[in-house]
Amino acid sequence: MSQQRRKVFISGNEATAEGGIAGGCRHFFGYPITPQNKIPEYMAEELPKIGGVYLQAESEVAAINMVYGAASAGARVMTTSSSPGIALMQEGLSYCLGSELPCVLVNMVRGGPGLGNIGPAQSDYWLATRGCGHGDGRCITLTPYSVQELHDFTAGAFEIADRYRNPVMVLADAILASMMEPCELIPRRDLPAPDRPWAVGPHDPDQRERNIVNSLWVEFDVMEAVSQRLEERYRQAAEEITDWDEFGSDEPQVMICAYGISARICESAVMQANDELGIRTRLIRPKTVFPFPTEPIRSWAERVDAALVVELSMGQFVEDVRLAVEGRCPVDLLGRAGGNVPTVGDVVEKIREAALRAGVARV
Amino acid sequence: MANLKQLSHREPKLTGGHRLCPGCGEPIAVRQVLMSTEDPVLVTNATGCLEVSTTIFPYSAWNIPWLHIAFENAAAAASGVEAMYQSLKKQGKIDPDANYRFVAFGGDGGTYDIGLQALSGAVERNHDFLYVCLNNEAYMNTGVQRSSATLKGAHTTTSPAGEVIPGKTQNRKDLTEIMVAHDIPYVAQTIPGRWNDITRKAEKAFSIEGPKFMNVLTPCPLGWGHEGGLTPEISQLAADTCIWPLYEVEYGEYKINYKPKEKKPIEAFLEPQARFRHLFRSDEGAEVRKAVQEWVDWKWETLLKKAGE
Repeated sequence: MSQQRRKVFISGNEATAEGGIAGGCRHFFGYPITPQNKIPEYMAEELPKIGGVYLQAESEVAAINMVYGAASAGARVMTTSSSPGIALMQEGLSYCLGSELPCVLVNMVRGGPGLGNIGPAQSDYWLATRGCGHGDGRCITLTPYSVQELHDFTAGAFEIADRYRNPVMVLADAILASMMEPCELIPRRDLPAPDRPWAVGPHDPDQRERNIVNSLWVEFDVMEAVSQRLEERYRQAAEEITDWDEFGSDEPQVMICAYGISARICESAVMQANDELGIRTRLIRPKTVFPFPTEPIRSWAERVDAALVVELSMGQFVEDVRLAVEGRCPVDLLGRAGGNVPTVGDVVEKIREAALRAGVARV
Repeated sequence: MANLKQLSHREPKLTGGHRLCPGCGEPIAVRQVLMSTEDPVLVTNATGCLEVSTTIFPYSAWNIPWLHIAFENAAAAASGVEAMYQSLKKQGKIDPDANYRFVAFGGDGGTYDIGLQALSGAVERNHDFLYVCLNNEAYMNTGVQRSSATLKGAHTTTSPAGEVIPGKTQNRKDLTEIMVAHDIPYVAQTIPGRWNDITRKAEKAFSIEGPKFMNVLTPCPLGWGHEGGLTPEISQLAADTCIWPLYEVEYGEYKINYKPKEKKPIEAFLEPQARFRHLFRSDEGAEVRKAVQEWVDWKWETLLKKAGE
């Protein structure tokens, strides 16, 4: 595969759109919102050329319900938006979860709440991992940290969505959306239609029973069985697709947990802390946050003296880290919000503080 | 009706210093509408160019109470404010002689598309307010994506003209007629290029109790691709070609306010704009122009009949 990849210099938005196409998406429903407008624009230009469908909805509410319709009919389907738009999609997303429909959403998170701004943020962590409408469903959530990963994760999201019959959200931010980097593109190819024996559509009644896509379960026991089925899938996903990356000292005193763009900043900070301050530091970077890499974080927490969480919100991701750490070491938070990002120096300073308090550094 | 001199002496409710583009039709229309009343005004404003560019926190170009609300909610927020006002008035907590006016501004995205439901609900509930749609025929604030107000054949970033499609493939939705169908007291269509038409209509709207709707075609030099200085002329050409007829419907009675002596072919409106350039470069483009001309003719004839002409 890698030999066939073409290396280009593109923005995160374009890499995401091209990732969708590479993942087999030929049906895209979207609605403009900054900072991800380039994705629907790219799809509007490219999909008609390859026999796909681009439809611009009249609202995000409509877009997610178009996704519902297309997914029910068996299509690999995708929509993209940014925080306020994803908020508007919550009802439709809940229906997708309840009806067990595979689909892919990309959220280029911006500052909020309210209209907020169009700066980078990671403040939709709860929305992605806890929200996704009402009820017991949850979105499988992938957290890329580069243009390349935006491309690869978006492409791979379709297979994951189909495997667990569940919506998958790619959670990125305004920086990743707009920044340009070299990216090796997965070649476009015509994938066979996804295997969805449950999808609705014309059929011969002699061949199969009619299919029903539905999220209305009046009987309590039946509804509970659906919730249990979803829960079982999430447990299975936790075993099969939980993914993370680690970077830095093999005998760390300080563990940093960060995902997405924050992890990019932390990589430099980890190098500085190790090389210049002599504080042995290791970065744990989740590539999936639901399912969450609880095990590696827990096992490193046994061995380090302190942990630091860096995120672009006032403290959302840190809750999952603390649930994983369960008091094994103190967990500090460096949270910036509203479009602000910490500098490498800010992170290094926090590492120093955490190390001082834990008594592992004297600088 | 106030004359130009009188209007010019009124305190502007939207001042200069905002960051809308040079030549933008929106602030012209907003000022014209708001200077048409001397009563105190409260504005609700949907997300869009007008909102973003006039209120970059902590600055504001508004001299009046102004409330921003998400894209789809200008009419709903206006409903809430107006209902509260009526309630306070009934309770005797507001000067009974004060005559507050409520105006909601939304773009074509916030009105034709995502906000149509809230607008329909607000006028059906009979709130006493004026809704002004600033229609620049695409989602300009997010980078020129098509809307249901975009004219057929227009190039936008999500209806890109190329080998597969010649720009937008659908005709524009007739929102003005949708609002007429709500049987509200006053509906009008106008342009910023004719000050006396727009201010007279706004003045009339302010004089009527109940829900009122004005649809203003506001050229966008950036999205339409024309010189900023041509904004009044371009909007005038929309009226001259009957692409955007100037008319009003008062309690169901149609009145055409401007009938061009010689109805110009639509090319007069299309040609100065880059978004239609591709329609002049191929046979397919010529066919699109023909189809749009036929549609414009049909809409105009229908309107003439409704006005009894």
